[in-house]
Amino acid sequence: MLEVRGLATSYGNIKALKGIDLDVAPGSVVCLLGANGAGKTTFMKTVTGLLAPASGNISFEGEKIAGLSPAAIVRKGISLVPEGRAILSRMTVLENLEMGAYHRRDREVRKDLDGILARFPALAARKGQRGGFLSGGEQQMLAIGRALMARPKLLLLDEPSLGLAPFVVSDIFRILREINAEGTTVLLVEQNARQALKASGYAYVLETGRIAHQGTSSELRNDPKIKEAYLGGRQ
Amino acid sequence: MSFEWLNPYHLQVGSFILINILLGISIYVTLATGQLSLGNAGFMSIGAYASAILTTQHGFSIPSAIVIGSLLAGVSGILVGIPALRLRGVYLAIATLGFGEVLRVVFINWESLTGGAVGIAAIPQMGREILAAVEAAGFSPEDWGLRNNQFISLSIFLILAAVVVLAILFFLRLLSSRVGRAYTAIRMDETAAETSGIDTTYYKVLAFSQGALLSGLAGALFAHATSYISPADFTYHRAVEILVFAVFGGSEALFGPVFGATLLTLLPELLRAISDYRYIVYGILVVLTMVFRPQGLIDPALVAMLTREKPAGGS
Repeated sequence: MLEVRGLATSYGNIKALKGIDLDVAPGSVVCLLGANGAGKTTFMKTVTGLLAPASGNISFEGEKIAGLSPAAIVRKGISLVPEGRAILSRMTVLENLEMGAYHRRDREVRKDLDGILARFPALAARKGQRGGFLSGGEQQMLAIGRALMARPKLLLLDEPSLGLAPFVVSDIFRILREINAEGTTVLLVEQNARQALKASGYAYVLETGRIAHQGTSSELRNDPKIKEAYLGGRQ
Repeated sequence: MSFEWLNPYHLQVGSFILINILLGISIYVTLATGQLSLGNAGFMSIGAYASAILTTQHGFSIPSAIVIGSLLAGVSGILVGIPALRLRGVYLAIATLGFGEVLRVVFINWESLTGGAVGIAAIPQMGREILAAVEAAGFSPEDWGLRNNQFISLSIFLILAAVVVLAILFFLRLLSSRVGRAYTAIRMDETAAETSGIDTTYYKVLAFSQGALLSGLAGALFAHATSYISPADFTYHRAVEILVFAVFGGSEALFGPVFGATLLTLLPELLRAISDYRYIVYGILVVLTMVFRPQGLIDPALVAMLTREKPAGGS
């Protein structure tokens, strides 16, 4: 579904990504692990068009998308839940969700909105409140809900567990599994390797701009090197 | 019926207020996407000079010259807006301020076209043209109990008032539409707007050129209201004055800069005796606003309260 080949992205002279090959199969959950500064967020921003790649190719459903504008990529069916949630803090919860459907002209927006409010009861309860007044977990759910309002085929999440309490994190991963079960493909960037490997089928490990390891998530979970570096040694 | 109380001087102050309201709206529209442009004095000068040159040297009628002048300013807004997208915040403000100053220097030095530092005089004036038309049709302001100078000032005032009302209605409608939502989202968080599928480039350039067009319109109307323009009308003082309308009145609701423009134009006239010190008064007012009401005198919560709607944010 998503095919990335030899992708390189630079900030001026600094090469953040040095040739990434990555595939996401339709219907799968793929996760990209890595420490701070490994290039995870840069990768997500490049795929969604927020950054322009220096070289390499990205194609989505067989179509080249590298170099398109973020808005055009959203219309192709890729939605990003940005790092740090990026809530429109002075719009209400409802308005935030509506913004997610900005490019849609079909008549099912209302239906999708009701579906998302049903999936996130916490948001339904606070739909008239400003986004900025929500708790961190609720904001993350709002960001996911907003991304879903675009009806993506591929949902990208950049560190959805960042700064959230453990029980909220497991809630979010449960919701991700549900969304995936309903047919949305998911690509997830995480530092929380344990949760991410549990939720995903295939995983890549990014180290200083290169893919250092890859394999099915269960393989990686049992790989002694990964265990030591990302899972805190003994489990 | 007598209109003896109708004072041309008051009407003229009113006309300047209306022109400044247009300028206040113009900076507000660009600010609605989070772009701080100080180029509106420059765009105003484009509208003013274009309209003045077209009517004095090429025989255009006032309405067509005003339309062309505004459109020219709007197109320059697109041309400046596209490279300006790469700049943010204070850098954009500096670049656009520079743009206005460059234009002013061009107008000073291109003497064959612009009359240089002396400017352009004897620009056809809207009020006098209307008076001439009325007299040509066999009427006289005396028939309605007006002296000629009253009639001239009144007709200018009414034309400007109509333009201002239309501009306010247009932008109120625009800002509560799809486009307005996109502007607000871009202002709040550009990344969030982009990832929601909003074409931020398009909307930022759109807002920028709308502001430029409106400044150009204000400039063209200014030229045909005063019948004299010179580069001194479009210095950085003007740019900062427009900014102060938004800072003082409030930059988060359309009526903020409208109110700011009204009060700050009226104030020096009321304080005629200390008019020389009006920038001191300005300074004090702006500082007081920043300390006690950083969002400006008029903010969305106040508008909501006055219109008796529930504020969008709940608490």
